[in-house]
Amino acid sequence: MFAALSFLVFGGTSRVSSATSADAMTTYLADCAVCHQADGSGSPRGPSLRDVGRASIDYMVTTGRMPLAEPTDRLERRKPRYTPDQQQALVDYVTGLSGGGPDIPTVDLATADVAAGGEDFREQCAACHAWSGTGGALLEREAPGLGAATPTQIAEAIRTGPGTMPVFGAAALDDQQLNNTTAFVDSLKHTDDRGGLPLAHIGPVTEGAIAIVVGLGLLLLGVRWIGTDR
Amino acid sequence: MSERRAVARASIAFLVATASAVGLGIVYARGGQPQIEGALLSVAFLAIGFGLITWAKHLLPQGPWAEHREHLPTPERDRQAFEADFERAGVLGRRPMLNRLLLLAGAAVAGALVVPLRSLGPRPSTSSLHTKWQGGRRLVTSDGTLVRASDVPVDGLVTVFPEGDPGSADGQTVLLRVGGDRLTPQPGRESWTPEGLVAFSKVCTHAGCPVGLYEASSHTLLCPCHQSAFDVLDSARPVTGPAAWPLPQLPLIIDADGYVASTGDFSAPVGPGWWKQ
Repeated sequence: MFAALSFLVFGGTSRVSSATSADAMTTYLADCAVCHQADGSGSPRGPSLRDVGRASIDYMVTTGRMPLAEPTDRLERRKPRYTPDQQQALVDYVTGLSGGGPDIPTVDLATADVAAGGEDFREQCAACHAWSGTGGALLEREAPGLGAATPTQIAEAIRTGPGTMPVFGAAALDDQQLNNTTAFVDSLKHTDDRGGLPLAHIGPVTEGAIAIVVGLGLLLLGVRWIGTDR
Repeated sequence: MSERRAVARASIAFLVATASAVGLGIVYARGGQPQIEGALLSVAFLAIGFGLITWAKHLLPQGPWAEHREHLPTPERDRQAFEADFERAGVLGRRPMLNRLLLLAGAAVAGALVVPLRSLGPRPSTSSLHTKWQGGRRLVTSDGTLVRASDVPVDGLVTVFPEGDPGSADGQTVLLRVGGDRLTPQPGRESWTPEGLVAFSKVCTHAGCPVGLYEASSHTLLCPCHQSAFDVLDSARPVTGPAAWPLPQLPLIIDADGYVASTGDFSAPVGPGWWKQ
């Protein structure tokens, strides 16, 4: 979160941080180059990083998806390997290898229309990530839940399509819609559950199971108590 | 249970119900809190039920009781009179004209049943074979915005509709861009995918669900209802699941202003393929 915020605050490409670019190069050569090559051109073990853009690198590093211990490991959220300063220096270094690609999107939740973002979310995101952002099954893979993602990471994922996710460009969501949708996903973290028990926001399956087991069970006990043995 | 204890239990139950109902009113008047209100209402109803059942089980006389009724045969004289009436020959045959008129009326009413059958709805027509897509019709998103080819990145996904009909059920289409010249179009569809842009009907050919799940890394479109999967690189051929027909493909062109447009209708009627079989 701090890393994402600090990008928003500082912006730009050249900035001073406590982790120097020499450190970042060492980190890159030690942890990344074995699959992505020293110049970022990729190999059979890992895709090219040239022109993938700052947003994609930042997403992969700040969510802990990269670096992978083994190229065959699952691409999933982990505890980030590096400190926020190191993350920032590494993102700068990898972006500097080529320079192209989408920059980190600017997110401003204060100016967002959350309701409109909900419309866009249900149209474009809910098919895979479920209406409540809890994720869902795909073919041999799954769409992850969105609860742990920071607003910047959400916007980066929409624009860069990490892993198996498609890319949502300006035709699918313009910058205002991107901001709205990000704000809606963020609002899912603190929903106003009027029923009291959200049951993990999975929906009719858990609700039905509890209604049948607990509700019908209590009714049966009640019937047993009302009835007589004669 | 002694009668005194039963009376005490039922009384306490009714008092609890009263207190809960009053509490509900107080909570509501003080601004309300849905979970507390629901709990108080439940307690009130449960307490009334508990009181009533305690009353019924322990304070009312217990059965079983049998209620006897007298034997009710028809008197023998009446039965014989009825049989004599019924067995008199020729009761119906005595009026041949009425019989024929009755038959005629029955046949006419049966014929009249055609009338409600005819008004069951519009006759099946060819309207389900075509959509609003036609040559030159541009692509718009659900809010009516035209789709610029440059705004769809590689591995991009946009749900589009025919211009002038955003949100239409049969015109809904998934527009994708596949990078690296990996599409293998069917013969005759080579020009349908400019710059790797490819569009398929979003209506599943199995049961009509929106095929909205796209795995960009495997170029697979998934249907959420019954897990049919379609290979985008191979003209949306079904690769697994119950769908037997490929998703109909929309022929695309990028016009002079950079907008994406269609050059005609889908390659096949959209939706479940029952009429094709």
